[in-house]
Amino acid sequence: MSSVPAAEVGVPAASKHRRRRSDLRLVLGFSAAALVLVAVGPYVLPDYLVNNLVRAFLYAVVALTVDILWGYTGVLTFGQSAFFGIGAYAAGLVFTHMGFSPAHAWLAFGAAILVSALVAVLVGWLSFYHGASPLYASVVSLVLPIAVTQLLYSGGTFTGSSSGLSGFASFDIEMNTWFWIAGAFLVLVTGAAWMFVRSDAGRVLVAIRENEPRCEYLGINVSRVKILLLVVMAVIAAMAGYAFAGVQMVVAPEYAGFVFGTELVIWVALGGRGTLIGPVIGTLLIDVSTAYLSGNLPFIWKLIIGLAFVVVIVALPQGIAPLVKRLFRGGGAVDPAKQAPALGIAREEPLAGLAGGGVHAISLHDVRKHFGSLVVLQGIDFQARRGELLSLVGPNGAGKTTLMRCISDGAERSGGTVLVNDHDIERKPPYDCVAFGVGRKFQNANTFDALTVAESLRIARTRLERPSVWTRAGVLELPEAALKVMQATGLDQKLGGEVRHLSHGQKQALELAMVLALEPSVLLLDEPTAGLTKPERMLIGQILVELTGKHGLCILLVEHDLDFVREISSRVIVLHQGRLVLDGTVTEVVESELVRTIYAGGGRIGGAAR
Amino acid sequence: MAQFFDIITTAAILFSVATGLLLVFGVMKIINFAHGGFLTVGGYSALLVTNLGLNPWWSLPFAFVIGFGCGMIIERLVVRPLYSRPLDAILATWGLGIILGQLITLAFGREVQFVQSPVSGAMDLLGASYSQYRLILVFAAVALALVLGLVLNGTRLGLQTRAVIMNENLARALGINSGLVRFVTFSLGAALASLAGALITPLSSVDPNMGVPWLVNAFMLVLVSGISLLSLAIACLALGGAQVLVSVYGNPVLGGLTIVVLAALILRIRPQGFARE
Repeated sequence: MSSVPAAEVGVPAASKHRRRRSDLRLVLGFSAAALVLVAVGPYVLPDYLVNNLVRAFLYAVVALTVDILWGYTGVLTFGQSAFFGIGAYAAGLVFTHMGFSPAHAWLAFGAAILVSALVAVLVGWLSFYHGASPLYASVVSLVLPIAVTQLLYSGGTFTGSSSGLSGFASFDIEMNTWFWIAGAFLVLVTGAAWMFVRSDAGRVLVAIRENEPRCEYLGINVSRVKILLLVVMAVIAAMAGYAFAGVQMVVAPEYAGFVFGTELVIWVALGGRGTLIGPVIGTLLIDVSTAYLSGNLPFIWKLIIGLAFVVVIVALPQGIAPLVKRLFRGGGAVDPAKQAPALGIAREEPLAGLAGGGVHAISLHDVRKHFGSLVVLQGIDFQARRGELLSLVGPNGAGKTTLMRCISDGAERSGGTVLVNDHDIERKPPYDCVAFGVGRKFQNANTFDALTVAESLRIARTRLERPSVWTRAGVLELPEAALKVMQATGLDQKLGGEVRHLSHGQKQALELAMVLALEPSVLLLDEPTAGLTKPERMLIGQILVELTGKHGLCILLVEHDLDFVREISSRVIVLHQGRLVLDGTVTEVVESELVRTIYAGGGRIGGAAR
Repeated sequence: MAQFFDIITTAAILFSVATGLLLVFGVMKIINFAHGGFLTVGGYSALLVTNLGLNPWWSLPFAFVIGFGCGMIIERLVVRPLYSRPLDAILATWGLGIILGQLITLAFGREVQFVQSPVSGAMDLLGASYSQYRLILVFAAVALALVLGLVLNGTRLGLQTRAVIMNENLARALGINSGLVRFVTFSLGAALASLAGALITPLSSVDPNMGVPWLVNAFMLVLVSGISLLSLAIACLALGGAQVLVSVYGNPVLGGLTIVVLAALILRIRPQGFARE
């Protein structure tokens, strides 16, 4: 029971390299094929189409950034057009007012990148903060293009106001060459994006989309990830805009505008969000056919696009790409064994860094919580040391879960202080509390439905092992306790399976394993064994006792099963109507008249205020 | 004095434009991006009344009824399936806005057209001469607020609506047909938008995209107001006032940005905006 035979659960080590290489080979193969198409394009396509495709390629690059932000990360943005516009105007303004030269071209390129990155940081700071609603981020993304176009309008002759800038000198490059440049740029960005979204870091984006709070409680600073992502996407969009101005030799406020921003979203939605290739194809098809059809049926064409968009959003939220994919593949699922990494044992350092040192694992002073006039917790005072397994009992509504929340998120409590490993958590968000050593398991299984078991556990390791942006690690190293929980519940056999297919009990166990993978020193468990079978409960109980005894963790446990509590706890705290009414050993609590009264519904204890 | 009237009337216009959106947002928790389309529908209803040679006052009930009808159809076909996907509802309703705009373009052409105003000329009030119609809009906004307040607080449907706003699941468990409440709410929201469209057209003109600029401002006002008519009125006065002042003392372009930028900042600092709590 003390060591986990890693070889038994693992996949042969050779396969991990093979998988990574096959990923790379696939993307290189596709890219090479696409580049060949781009290379022959100008020779076989009519000039008018070549012209339109150059523009469509650049639009598709921006659509890709929308797909990564919205399709993968769940940030619905109308604002990528603004970054495209910034890139375009960087070129337009420099070439108009300073003339064209290679040096000026570089200057404009640098300005495009710098300005778009700065604006993205500002927008990111506005949009993404702990507790921001997704709607708010979309609102800010809507304000951005409106603000940019208004500024362009008010720029007078400098920005060319509503008619924009045109007729400036630009790169002396033929249209065919532009076709190659824009095409290669699109292939490059698509290939890189494909590697990125399939990498370990890319999975973090999906995890954020699926369950942002869980990510924060796994120690991931979600806001920072989103801001960083936005900056990169903004720079890519600005580069596309720069090329656009270079080839078209015209810039206008519409290219930075809100309508273009929504068009991008429409193309991505029609092509299929979260598929990369769908948005690219969608953009190319729609933009090129618009060029041909809008002359003949101007209003009807836009009407058709609008109708198609509404139908897709209502009936096919994943867009058209998945439909096509299903048609070709016949819905063949990927072999889970091939997908899953090998399991390994991590070297644990639960008391490293901020979590180290200190006298008390948890220390609460006069913690209070109220919602308006409703008092949920008051005067909660207790300390717990390492190696204690502290059970929190009390009837429904006693404030147990609220207390857990107050320890794991600094913004939750209304008053009092909470110290974790002797660090005052102040008003800090959950990911900072994780850094102090807190690991929290929620009351209801709180997992990432769209990820596999292995991916979920990898997300939990993000804080400790920086995920790669290009590849997926072949070995998943987990602390012993997490491995044991997985073996006890059979999860180690389902590493490649999606979480949504797990039973409720397995989800509970997975979440517990994820929290243990954080290597916490203070473990908050809210009914960790609900939905598990009796033998599984016993195993998990054993693991918890071992964690406190051998590894010196402090565990705070909420449980309704008093037999379970009696068996494993070293100390019990009784909450009733938001007050701490009893704090003692198991025997003291079990024999207490008070507890019997509370559980028998004997009414108010000790003049509990309400 | 004229500036004071500018602020009051601007706030009144914003209030009439935003109430429909507020109602839909409050009850259904979705942002109705087709709101701009409904405003346009109202504008063209007024145009129709002008073209038919009827008394311009007819455009108001006319717009209300047409808006209500559009709302009923759209709620059934598009909005209902999207209730659990609020971000998708934004997109679908935006698509609806495009569809409405294109249908109007096909029917009426894309050019700018003018609507006959029910009253014209200026009147002297408190020592200033001011557009009569803009002043009437203030009364219209106040009347709108009163009627809506009475409906919400004095009728059975209003009570049910408030129950759905507060806790939809509980309301449903108590036997309230929340589907009906949402249906009526969305249709009423569309009708109010259309009415507002008819009210504002005599001030300028109609064109198929007339709703879009209003939509963005209304949307921001609703977000900073939460779900209360009172806080919406406060937000309209505060932000509308800021817009007027920035336009006068700064420049009109910045004035056009005032509401969206201020609202975004307010929400960043105080996520509940002008709402209490």
